[in-house]
Amino acid sequence: MAEHILQINHLSKSFGTNAVLRDIDFTVDKGDVISIIGASGSGKSTLLRCINLLETPNAGEIIYNGKNVLAPGTKAAKYRARVGMVFQSFNLFNNMTVLDNCMVGQIKVLKRSREEAKAHAMQYLEKVGMAPYVNAKPRQISGGQKQRVAIARAMAMDPEVLLFDEPTSALDPEMVGEVLSVMRSLAESGMTMLVVTHEMAFARDVSTRVVYMCDGVILEQGPPAQLLSNPQQPRTQDFLRRILGRQG
Amino acid sequence: MSKFAQLGADIAKLWGKYGGAYLSGIQNTLILALVGTLLGCLIGFVCGVLNTIPHGPGTHPVKRFFLKVVRIIIRVYVEVFRGTPMVLQAVFLYYGLPYFTDNAVKFTSIWLAAIVVVSINTGAYMAESVRGGIISVDPGQTEGAKAIGMTHVQTMTSVILPQALRNIMPQIGNNFIINVKDTSVMFIIGFPEFFAAHRATVGASYLYFPSATVEMVGYLTMTLLASFLLRWLERRLDGSSSYELVQEDQLVMTAGTYNHPDRGTPFDERSKEYEQDGKDGN
Repeated sequence: MAEHILQINHLSKSFGTNAVLRDIDFTVDKGDVISIIGASGSGKSTLLRCINLLETPNAGEIIYNGKNVLAPGTKAAKYRARVGMVFQSFNLFNNMTVLDNCMVGQIKVLKRSREEAKAHAMQYLEKVGMAPYVNAKPRQISGGQKQRVAIARAMAMDPEVLLFDEPTSALDPEMVGEVLSVMRSLAESGMTMLVVTHEMAFARDVSTRVVYMCDGVILEQGPPAQLLSNPQQPRTQDFLRRILGRQG
Repeated sequence: MSKFAQLGADIAKLWGKYGGAYLSGIQNTLILALVGTLLGCLIGFVCGVLNTIPHGPGTHPVKRFFLKVVRIIIRVYVEVFRGTPMVLQAVFLYYGLPYFTDNAVKFTSIWLAAIVVVSINTGAYMAESVRGGIISVDPGQTEGAKAIGMTHVQTMTSVILPQALRNIMPQIGNNFIINVKDTSVMFIIGFPEFFAAHRATVGASYLYFPSATVEMVGYLTMTLLASFLLRWLERRLDGSSSYELVQEDQLVMTAGTYNHPDRGTPFDERSKEYEQDGKDGN
């Protein structure tokens, strides 16, 4: 059996007495594009933030390439450099230009030279169509453009897995398309991706697997065609009816 | 009207005789205020950073204990030096050290004593300002930095502190202007600043009011100049405010028109590529 990139065992997280994630088991293999769907409050974002150690889980294991990153003594920063994250609110560094945003991590964390970092950053900025804006500050570009830069920033670190936390939810409707098309081409290039999303078309057309979360547990998962067209659980059916009814 | 003429004459007389003393007083005041403010900011930044090191339930108990102790020390420092007058702090340190150590430890230089007092006093105020500046930076910035694998120190130095510094520039300016004025209490330990020049002058000439007028004008000139320079500095930090939001989507049209940082556009006659094309044509 090939080793999974990420294997999550019995992961639990609660804020105070509020259990947000309950006993999550879940695996990610190379090249997987996994869409995580579910109502708000179902724990999707928390799961992603736990995977990137932005939240500390209360129990369970996150096995990354055979090593449990929750074990004491693991350098969280080193692990995070290998697992990229794209946020709903972009989180570009406001004090840096677009280019510096994509270079700073490579220089400080990966210890690349300035020239190497710049060349590498430009490669991804061109891929997301943001090469013309290298000298702009984040406040000078639109939301969709910020998110494309954020994707380039994450990709410039050459991560093994890329996590997307509702990457299009904070965008004006006309900007959603440009970000989704960048994500689609990333997926087609073989990038391993975990995407928390409400974009059902993206989940259906791009992902290799769809995960439905509800009340802190994974209720159902499977290939998109199967899960979206023929859900087995009544709550999944109910959720999809509501969200597809609205979108269709 | 004749009173004003009298005042003018007295000031002219004072200036003619003691102008040098006033000027060197102004110089010393400015140097002391500037160095004191800068060192104070440094102290404030160190305290602010130490105060904001995150510690949660997952932190190692020894580290947590250590952080707690550091926080208590900083808290005591801030409360003591913010809560007592600087004039007393100067006396306390300058005369207290030799008193307790039977003259074994004392300030050998009046400059050193004055700078130490002004710096630690400013540092106490700045510690709180810096903490506020750090807190005011969007937490998303920290998360963005963590997500690409930066450590706490890297996050602070590359992302948070530059933004916090901009946020607290008005406070730094405030402190500098306060220091320009409040260093006048340093005459108490014999530091030759601007106000000390006044005391020396009136002791010799008895022209109290004309000398006070010189002092008023002098201090006001220094502080006005300082606030003007600080505004200018803030604008420089903000960078150009006139930017063009690019409207067209570059996915549609940019072939050959964008600015690669290493290359100019092929249409720019100053760029290397333009020269290259020109040579090819020849």
